[in-house]
Amino acid sequence: MPGPMIGRRTALAASLALPFIRPAFAQQAEPYVMGSLFPMSGPNAEFGEAFTRGAQVAIAHINADNMLRRPVRLQSEDSQALPQPSVIGMNKLINIDRASWVLSSWTATAKAIAPIGDRAKTIMVNGGGVGPDLSGLSPYFWNVIALAHLEVRAIVPFLVNQRNVKRVALIYVDDPLGDAILGQLREQLPLHGATLVGSYSVPRAAQQFGSVVARVRQSRPDAIYIASFGAQQAQIVKGLRDNGVTQIICSFSGFGLDGIRTLPEAEGALFTTQKLDFASSDPITKRFADDFQARFGQAPVTYHANYYNAAYLFGLLARQVEQAGGEVNGETMRAAMLATRKFNLVGGEGEFDELGNMLTQLQVNEIRGQRVIAVG
Amino acid sequence: MLFLQLLLNGLQTGAIYALTAAGFALIFGATKIFHVAHGIAFTIAGYVFLFAWRADWPSWLGVLASIAAAMLFGIVMERLVYRPIQRHEGSFFTVFVAAFGVSIVVQNIIGMIAGRGFATVDTPLSFSAEILPEIFVAPMLWIALATAAVLFVALTLFLTRHPAGVALRALAQNPDLIRTYGLSSNGLSVLAFAIGSALAAPAAIVTAMTTGLNEAIGHHVMLISIAATIVGGIGSLRGAALAGMMLGIAESLALTVVDTQWAEAVSFLVLFGFIIFRPAGIFGVTQTR
Amino acid sequence: MTAFLINLATLAAISGILASTLNFIVGYAGIFSVAHAVFFGLGAYGGAQVALLLVPNPFLACLVAAVIAGGLSLCLALPALRVRGEYFVAASLGLQMVAATLFAELKPLTGGIGGLVGIPRPELFGMVVPVLPLALVALALILWATARLQRGAFGRTLQSIRDADTAAEALGKNVNAAKTLAVAFACAGAGIAGALYALHLSFINVESFTLDQSIQIMAMVIIGGAGTLWGPLVGAVMLLSLPAVISFIPFIPPTEVGAVQQIIYGSAMTLLMIFRPAGLLGDMSKGKSTS
Repeated sequence: MPGPMIGRRTALAASLALPFIRPAFAQQAEPYVMGSLFPMSGPNAEFGEAFTRGAQVAIAHINADNMLRRPVRLQSEDSQALPQPSVIGMNKLINIDRASWVLSSWTATAKAIAPIGDRAKTIMVNGGGVGPDLSGLSPYFWNVIALAHLEVRAIVPFLVNQRNVKRVALIYVDDPLGDAILGQLREQLPLHGATLVGSYSVPRAAQQFGSVVARVRQSRPDAIYIASFGAQQAQIVKGLRDNGVTQIICSFSGFGLDGIRTLPEAEGALFTTQKLDFASSDPITKRFADDFQARFGQAPVTYHANYYNAAYLFGLLARQVEQAGGEVNGETMRAAMLATRKFNLVGGEGEFDELGNMLTQLQVNEIRGQRVIAVG
Repeated sequence: MLFLQLLLNGLQTGAIYALTAAGFALIFGATKIFHVAHGIAFTIAGYVFLFAWRADWPSWLGVLASIAAAMLFGIVMERLVYRPIQRHEGSFFTVFVAAFGVSIVVQNIIGMIAGRGFATVDTPLSFSAEILPEIFVAPMLWIALATAAVLFVALTLFLTRHPAGVALRALAQNPDLIRTYGLSSNGLSVLAFAIGSALAAPAAIVTAMTTGLNEAIGHHVMLISIAATIVGGIGSLRGAALAGMMLGIAESLALTVVDTQWAEAVSFLVLFGFIIFRPAGIFGVTQTR
Repeated sequence: MTAFLINLATLAAISGILASTLNFIVGYAGIFSVAHAVFFGLGAYGGAQVALLLVPNPFLACLVAAVIAGGLSLCLALPALRVRGEYFVAASLGLQMVAATLFAELKPLTGGIGGLVGIPRPELFGMVVPVLPLALVALALILWATARLQRGAFGRTLQSIRDADTAAEALGKNVNAAKTLAVAFACAGAGIAGALYALHLSFINVESFTLDQSIQIMAMVIIGGAGTLWGPLVGAVMLLSLPAVISFIPFIPPTEVGAVQQIIYGSAMTLLMIFRPAGLLGDMSKGKSTS
C-alpha cells in the first residue's frame, strides 16, 4: 500500500506545485493537506456537503492568491457522524496524509478525535457543532461558531420584546446541545418575564411528530423552540404546522440549511446565527459570497461561511508561520493564533479567546419567502 | 381530549405500519425470507412519488409509478439476491446480511440522486383543521385509513378467492404440498414479493406527504414491520396488520403516560413482552422452541 | 503509517473479539442475536466508569465489564430459553432498541448522547500501555476458550441444541443451563471488548452501541463463516479494513466521498453473500454452515 501511494502522490504534487515553488523548496513540493471529517453519508450528509463546499471555496482562494509556498489540498474523510469511523479517519489524516489542520463537525466526531489530535498536536476546527461541551476539548480544538448558550441569550430578548412572546415550549433531542438550550431557556426566559411552559425530548431517530405536537399544543405556547438536527428539524417544523400549531417557530443556527429555508412550513421561522451580512462591502465577505454563488449556483448561508473561515484561517496562520521562517505544524500555528488573536474573516474581524473559541456577535434571522433575512 | 387526539394520530401512524407490516408478513409467510430490505421498497416508492410530483405528473400516475417501482424492487431482490443465495441453502442470516448490503447501496444512491436531507410532497391534504375543540385532523388521516382498509379487504379476497392467492397461503402452510400439486413455488414467491412490496407504496406515499422523506426513512418502518409480524403471529396477515395498527396507536397513546423520548421504546417493549409471554403472537400458531 | 495501522489493528482485534463471541452463540448454539452491541456497550460503560472513577487498570476494567455484561446476559438468555429462530431474532431486536434508549437516557451512568469523555488511557504499574497488546491477548484467550469449549462435551451439547433442542433434551442434556452459560460467556466476552474499546477511544457514547453496530458484528460473523473458529476474525478484519482501504481510492469528488464508499461497501457485502453464502471460510460443500 505505501509504495505506489507515495509515488503517485509525490508525482501529482510535483506537477501541481511546480508553478509555485522556488528550487530551494523543491523537497517540500508536496501540498499542505487539510483534512475534513464530516458526515458524508447517512442522515446527516446534507451538513457534510454544505461544510465541504465552504472549505472548498476557501482553499481555492488560498491557492489562487499564492498565499502559501505550497498549494493546499482538501482530503475528505467520511465520519458518518459516528465515533469509530471518525477515529479511523482522523488517524489516516494525521499519519498518512500528514494533515496538520483538520476540519471537524458533530459532537461525536469532535469528542472522539480530540484526544488523537491533542497527542499529535493537530489543529481541529469546528464550525458546525454548537454544544457547549465542544469548548476546551483540547488546546488544539477550536470553534469558529458561537456555542448554543450564547444563541439562546440572543433570541430570548428578541422573542419577548419584538414578538410579544410570553410562553415558550421546547422540542429537543436530549444531547448536550439540547440540554444546554433547555438550561438556558429555563434561566433566561424568567429574566425577561416569560416562562418555559413545556419541554419535550424526542429520540434522535424519531420520524413521526404528530403525537408530540399534540402534547405541545396542550401547553399553549406562543413560541416553540426546536433544538434538533438535520432532516429531523424539518420534520418537526412540518409536524407542527400540519397539526394545527400556528405559533412562532424558533431555533438555533442548525436552521441555516437549504432543507429548512425551502420548506414552505418554515415560513416565518426565527433562528440565530452569528452576525453575517453577505451583502456587505467588506472585501473578504463579498469575494466569498460572489465566488460561492458562481461556483455552486446558490447563495451562501452561515455554515458555508463558517467552514470557509475554518479553512481560510489555516491560510492566514500558515502564512504567518512561513514568513517567520518556521515549519508549518499544529504547534507553530497555535502559537501564531495566540499571538495574533484577531483575523479578517468572512463577516468581518473574528477574535479568538485563549481556548480557541471565536467570539462573535449574534443576529436573529427570519425565513421570509424562502430567503433568510436578518431581523434583529 | 388529549387522549382522543393521540388516538387519532396513532391511527394514522398505525395505518402506515399496518400496510408495511402486512407486506412484510406476506413475503415472510410465503417464502420464509426475512426481507429486511423491505424498508427500502418503502423508501424507493416514496421517492418515486416525490419525483413524479416534482415533474408535475398527475397524482394517479405518480401512485402507479410508485407502486410499480416498489414491485420491481421486490422482484429484482427475489431474482438477483435471494434466489441465488437460497440455491446454496444459505442460512437465515446470509440472506439478512445480503439484504442489509443492498439497503446501504440503495440508500446512498438515493442520496446522490435526490439530494441529501429532507424532502416532502407539499399538499393541503396533510394540513389539519380543528374538527372539534382541541382536536386537529388532516384529510390525510381518512385517506390513510380508507386506503389501508380497502387494500386489506382486497388482499383478503385475493388470498381466499383467487387460485394464486390460495396457492400463496398454501405455500406458507406447507411448501411440499405445492410441489405435489405441480404448482411452481418459484413463480409464487415472485408473486409474494411483488404484492408484498406493492403494499409498502401507499404507506410510503402517505409518509411523503405527511412526515416527509429522507434516505433513511425506511429503517424505522421496517423494524416496526418485523415487530408487527412477530406480535401478530408469523404467518398471519390479519395479525400483522392488526399488530402494526396497534403498535402505531401504542406509540402515540404512550405519550399520555410517559415522557416523549420513551415513545419509540414502547413498541419494542411490547414486542419483547409478547415474545416472553405470548410467543405465538395474537393469531399465530404456537411455535415455541 | 504505523500509527494508522496500529489503530486499525486495535479496532480489528476488538471487533474480532465481538465477532468471535457472537459466533459462539450463533455458530455453535444457533442463538441468533442482533443485540450483541448492547453487551459491548454495557462493558464499555462499565470499563469506562472504572477507569474514570477508580483506576485506569485495564484488567480491573475488563473484569468489571465482563461481570456486568455477563450478568445482564440473562436478559438475552431468557428469550433464548423460550423461543428460537425468527422469534428470537425479533426478541433480541426489541432488547437492542430498548437498551439503546436506556443508554441515551441514563445520563448519570452513560453520559447520554453526549457520552463519557476523557476516559484515561490504560496504566499498568504506573506506565501507560497501548490497548493493542491487551486486545490481542484477550482475542487469543477467547479464541482458545472457544476452541476448547467447542471440542469438549459442552460444545457437543451446544451443537445438539443447535440442530434439535428436543433431541438434546431427550439425550438428557441440560439444555437450559447450556444455553444460559453459552450466552453468558459470549456476552462477557463482548463486555471485555467494550472495556478495551472505551480505553482505546477515550470517548464513548450510545452511537457506538446501536442496532447498526449489532448488525455489523453479525455481518462479520456471517461473511467470515459462522460456526468456524477463524471465520469471524477474518470477517471482522475485512469489514473493518474495507472502508479504510476504500478511503484510499483517489479522485472521488469530496462531496460524494461518503456515498461512493458506502456503495462499494454495501455491494461487497451483498456480492460476497451471493457468491459465498457460507462465508469466506465456511464449508461450501456442506451447503448449510449454520441454522
